[in-house]
Amino acid sequence: MNLASFPIESYGLTLMWVIPLLTSLITFAVPARNHKRIKIISAVGAGLNFALIIGLTVRFVQVAGLAQINTPELFSGQSAHLFFAMNVPWFSTLNINYNIGVDALSMLMSLLTGLIIFAGVFASWEIENQAKEFFTLLNILVSGVFGVFISYDIFSFFLFYEVAVLPMYLLIAVWGTGRKEYSAMKLTLMLVGGSALIMAGILALYFESGLSTFDLNALAAHPFAASFQNWVFPVMFVGFAILGAMFPFHTWSPDGHAAAPTAVSMLHAGVLMKLGGYGCLRVAMYALPEGAKLWMPYFMVLIIYNVAFGAFIAVRQKDLKYITAYSSVSHLGLVLLGLGVLTYTGLKGSALQMISHGLLTALFFCLIGMIYGRTKTRNIDEMGGLLKVMPFLGVAFMIAGFAGLGLPGLSGFVAEVTIFLGAFQNDSIIMRISTVLAILSITATAVYVIRSANRMLSGPIQIPAHAQLTDANWIERIPVILLLIGLFGMGLMPRWISNILDTSLNPIFNNLMR
Amino acid sequence: MSLLVPDFLILILAFGIFALDLLKVPAKVLWNVAWLSLTGIFVLLNTLPAGMSHEWMGAWELNNLGLLLREFFVFSALVVTLLTRRYFFANNAQLKRLPEFLFALLVVTFGSIVVVSAKELLTLFVGLELATIPLYFLVAWNKRCSLSAEASTKYILIGSASTAMMLFGLSYLYGFTGSLNFDVIKSQLSTQPLDNLFWTSAIFIIVGIGFKLALFPFHAWAPDVYEGAPTPVTAFLSVSSKATAIAFLTILLYGPLAPIHKDLDFLLLLLAAVTMLVGNLGALRQSRLKRFMAWSSIAQAGYILTALVGPANIAKPAIVFYLFVYAFSNYLMFWIISILESTRPTTFSSLQGLAKQYPALGAALAVTLFSLAGIPPVAGFIGKLFLFGSAANAGYYVFIIYAALNSTISLYYYLQVMRAAYVTPGSENPQALAITGFDKGVSLILTLLVLLAGFAPWLSNNIHTILQTGP
Repeated sequence: MNLASFPIESYGLTLMWVIPLLTSLITFAVPARNHKRIKIISAVGAGLNFALIIGLTVRFVQVAGLAQINTPELFSGQSAHLFFAMNVPWFSTLNINYNIGVDALSMLMSLLTGLIIFAGVFASWEIENQAKEFFTLLNILVSGVFGVFISYDIFSFFLFYEVAVLPMYLLIAVWGTGRKEYSAMKLTLMLVGGSALIMAGILALYFESGLSTFDLNALAAHPFAASFQNWVFPVMFVGFAILGAMFPFHTWSPDGHAAAPTAVSMLHAGVLMKLGGYGCLRVAMYALPEGAKLWMPYFMVLIIYNVAFGAFIAVRQKDLKYITAYSSVSHLGLVLLGLGVLTYTGLKGSALQMISHGLLTALFFCLIGMIYGRTKTRNIDEMGGLLKVMPFLGVAFMIAGFAGLGLPGLSGFVAEVTIFLGAFQNDSIIMRISTVLAILSITATAVYVIRSANRMLSGPIQIPAHAQLTDANWIERIPVILLLIGLFGMGLMPRWISNILDTSLNPIFNNLMR
Repeated sequence: MSLLVPDFLILILAFGIFALDLLKVPAKVLWNVAWLSLTGIFVLLNTLPAGMSHEWMGAWELNNLGLLLREFFVFSALVVTLLTRRYFFANNAQLKRLPEFLFALLVVTFGSIVVVSAKELLTLFVGLELATIPLYFLVAWNKRCSLSAEASTKYILIGSASTAMMLFGLSYLYGFTGSLNFDVIKSQLSTQPLDNLFWTSAIFIIVGIGFKLALFPFHAWAPDVYEGAPTPVTAFLSVSSKATAIAFLTILLYGPLAPIHKDLDFLLLLLAAVTMLVGNLGALRQSRLKRFMAWSSIAQAGYILTALVGPANIAKPAIVFYLFVYAFSNYLMFWIISILESTRPTTFSSLQGLAKQYPALGAALAVTLFSLAGIPPVAGFIGKLFLFGSAANAGYYVFIIYAALNSTISLYYYLQVMRAAYVTPGSENPQALAITGFDKGVSLILTLLVLLAGFAPWLSNNIHTILQTGP
């Protein structure tokens, strides 16, 4: 078969979640003692998938770019235009369809996921204990994540999302560190509690509309009564916001991410937590615009707590993973802030921040995993002078930190500036105060980033054994380099991402303002 | 008349086994006859055309729902027959009694079939009793075991009390409408003004069936009985007996009581709400697997009840599908318990290190637990979604939030079992389990069923199509 003739546009998206699933089945069939083979199979699977997604993205950029020039009316309506779409009946009982397709946002998120999981497999190369089960579960998790991004039927959106929950508990409880059983249970229960709210919301949308469909576009076009929207929106928003670690539902995140093994932290903080913001935007705000307009100012109070206090709590932490986890809480607060201000620029900033923070936090957790694997401690007071013994990891850590505090040239700057610009466009008094508080919290971000980098990397070596440590080997450098390319690429050339995102955000915004 | 062949075959099989046992045919042969015939009957049922609605003598009816539930009960009896192999074949004294066991099992199954075929109150009641009385004797199977005797005594006392209430309720209903026939009752209820006499009858019927379903506050017998009964009986009790009660309620609510169905919504939802909460809270503190399954089944009954408030076209497929899914998951769980049981005590701590020692068994355990907890892609999720969807269709959105949050609580204790099997390290030299090829085969099939029903639409689509067909 000629590779170029492969119908990537019809089956590419389905393959995206089928490949990890197959990888998982194959690893399950390999004898357990054969660690090396299991890892290689996973790497090949993730690599293949990443190549496929790059192929799809390239095709997407061509097709969508042309469409943006030739048929701009596709994107100026109120209904999302899907590429590579496929719609076949699935469960006839509730008229559920396997309805998939991508727009710019989901394509980019898939690309991010592909990159992170490819990096994550290499970051998990050191796992020896029950490696077979680890990679089997990891691949099921990945399969679920891809499924979420391509789903346009809210049912399958939800189904795939919950598939990602299934392996999470075991991955943390078995392969984690520290208080792993407690953290795993807390994370799983809180997330499933959130999805209970989402499920109730989805069923309410389905039956209230009377359309007998879970098709997101159809539901978004349906004018729900304002009284209905006003109570369903907070239910769904809170459901998604638990996932997005909104205060006071953020407590699972620091514990969970601190306990999780490296690849799971990378994937969870990098991609899964974005599903909170993604779901709010794509489902809650898209289908329930009136509810969003009513409730967002109130939720803003909680969101500001995330942005500001997340950063301040991070300043007080000594454990590297907790610092990163609280900084994620703060950065994800920015995603919600961008959504909450209800301006077009805000939405765009929010979408950019999802991608940027995905790269950033995956890099952070990846580096911390490697540093912890060497120093056997994550307490920054016990480290020092590490830049001398591991220059590669040290420099990468500093770059990641700078991206986190929004240094121009790196992806964080692009996203944060867009969010704040969008926030200033909304001139209600609550939004103004929120925006100012959020911007002030950037200072706290600078404090914890610079302080922790400083303690860890410079000064005298605290523990003599640390002088013998080695720098990253080549297998470990692969994920770091890939993620750094992403950070710089997005920071230096934000325009192409920003432009292509218009195709996806315009319909949502138009629907919101109708 | 040919449509009645499968029903007669069950009866013939039951009494055939009874008679052949008297003629001293070896028990193993009878066991083989039993499961092969049940498989045959199951296949035969699948060939029956959907969309027929036949009635015999105003008492017996075969409709789409009845057809599906027949398949369900025969399937259930088949799995339990297979499950008895491990329990009976090991020990000669037990093996001798196997035919009696099979006889009782088949009579219960026939009773369940009578329930789903009934067209009038008396037949319905007889079917329900037929599906209950042999269970008293099955629960007391280990005569010399005090737990089993205690369980049986409890079950008989509570069972007969509930029967009395049910009969009382049914007789009032007869008194109120003047007929036993479902169609007459239905038309009477839609024309006649309802008075207290009627409400007494409705409440007594629901209370009576509440005992059988182990709804709160009539649930207290379940943990003791589940613990005391032999594992195959517990499995059967948790699936077939519960399904019979659900079928009974479904038939009444969408048949003769349809005109006043809406008025019972509040009562049904209240019972469902309290039952699922009590079941979930009860399960939190368990450390023995069979008691744990009892509490889990109580909660599951609460979920199923939720669907009964919806309209027939949504509720019926949801309930039938969930019953199948519930049967797959519960039988798989009990299969694992019975594997454990032959060498270890059935407590959570016996599971420690299981996943490392037997990865495939660990995977099967994970699949069934996630299915019971309602996590996709396994079947419990879509089943629960259909159930809740039925209530959502009737507009009870807030209740859905409550029920879904309840299943989050349930996830906690299902994960406790997972934790025992996967996370807690086992002893250095764990005792080997006696797993035969037969065990592997059946549990593999059950696991695949749970998995496939979750994301492959064949089962739910078939149920949907059959219920939609015809008059």
